[in-house]
Amino acid sequence: MILFSVFSSIALVSSVMVIRAKNPVHSVLFFILVFFNTSGLLVLLGLDFFAMIFLVVYVGAIAVLFLFVVMMLNIKIAEIHENVLRYLPVGGIIGVIFLLEIFFIVDNDYIPILPTKLSTTYLTYTVYAEKIQSWTNLETLGNLLYTTYFVLFLVSSLILLVAMIGAIVLTMHKTTQVKRQDVFRQNAIDFKNTIKKIRDI
Amino acid sequence: MEFAPICVYLVISLLLSLILIGVSFLFASSSNSAYPEKLSAYECGFDPFDDARSRFDIRFYLVSILFIIFDLEVTFSFPWAVSLNKIGLFGFWSMIVFLLILTIGFLYEWKKGALDWE
Repeated sequence: MILFSVFSSIALVSSVMVIRAKNPVHSVLFFILVFFNTSGLLVLLGLDFFAMIFLVVYVGAIAVLFLFVVMMLNIKIAEIHENVLRYLPVGGIIGVIFLLEIFFIVDNDYIPILPTKLSTTYLTYTVYAEKIQSWTNLETLGNLLYTTYFVLFLVSSLILLVAMIGAIVLTMHKTTQVKRQDVFRQNAIDFKNTIKKIRDI
Repeated sequence: MEFAPICVYLVISLLLSLILIGVSFLFASSSNSAYPEKLSAYECGFDPFDDARSRFDIRFYLVSILFIIFDLEVTFSFPWAVSLNKIGLFGFWSMIVFLLILTIGFLYEWKKGALDWE
C-alpha cells in the first residue's frame, strides 16, 4: 500500500511536470519517469512480465523516439512563451470526459466521499483463488496467444511489417554520389596484378 | 518477495547518484575559482559558433523505428519459448509464420539499403 502510494504519486506529479516543463527534453525525461513508476504499479498488480516489457519497449524504444522527435522539432527554449490558457477549453473538455469515464467504470465503493452500496452483513468466506495452482504471467500469455488468438497474433505481425515498410518508404533518400566500400571486391583483388613493373632501371 | 533485489538495487543506485552529486557540492571550492571566464562556454578556445540543438539526419529515426519493431518481435518470442511444450505443433508453426512475415520486411529493408550507413 505504501509502495502503491509512492509509485502513483510520483507518476502523477511527473505527468504534471511533463506538461509544465519549459524544456521539451526535460518533459521527455519526466515522461520516462512516468513509465518507470507505471511499471512499478504493474509489478504491484502482479503483472511482472508486462512491467518488464513496459520498461524495455516504452523506455528503451519509444522514449528514444520521443527524444528524436523533440530534437528534430528544432525548438529553441526561448521560443516557448506561448499562452498556456489557449489550450484550456479543449484540454478541459477532454479532461472532464476522462473523469466521467473513470466515474462510470469505478465502483462507488472505492471513492470514500460517495455513498456506498456495501451491504453490512459480514459473512465468513474462503478465498478459493488462493487454493488453485496458478500459472505465471508468461505461461498464461504463451498458452493463449499462439493457439487461441493466433489470428490476432498474425495480424500484429502484419502491422509490424506495414510499420517497417512505411518507415523505410517515408525516410529513405538514396544519394548516389556517395562512394562506398565493396568489401568483397577489395578482398578479391589479386595482388600480383596491382603493382606492375613498367621498365627496367 | 522476489523483487527485493531490484528494490535494493534501486536504493543503492539512488544513494550512489545522490552521493556523487552531493560530494561535488560539499567539496567544490566555489568562492575563489569560479571566475566568469571559467564559467563561460567554450569550443576548443573559440566562442561557440552555433546552437548545439541542431537538426540531424532522419536516418537515426529510421534506425530507432526498426529497432522498436525487432524489439517487439523478440518480446513476442519470450512467452512462446516458455510455453512451447504446452502449445504443441500449432503454436510452433504460428510463431514460424509470424517470423516469416517479419523476415519479409527484414529482407525488404536489407535490399532497400536501409541498414547501410553512407
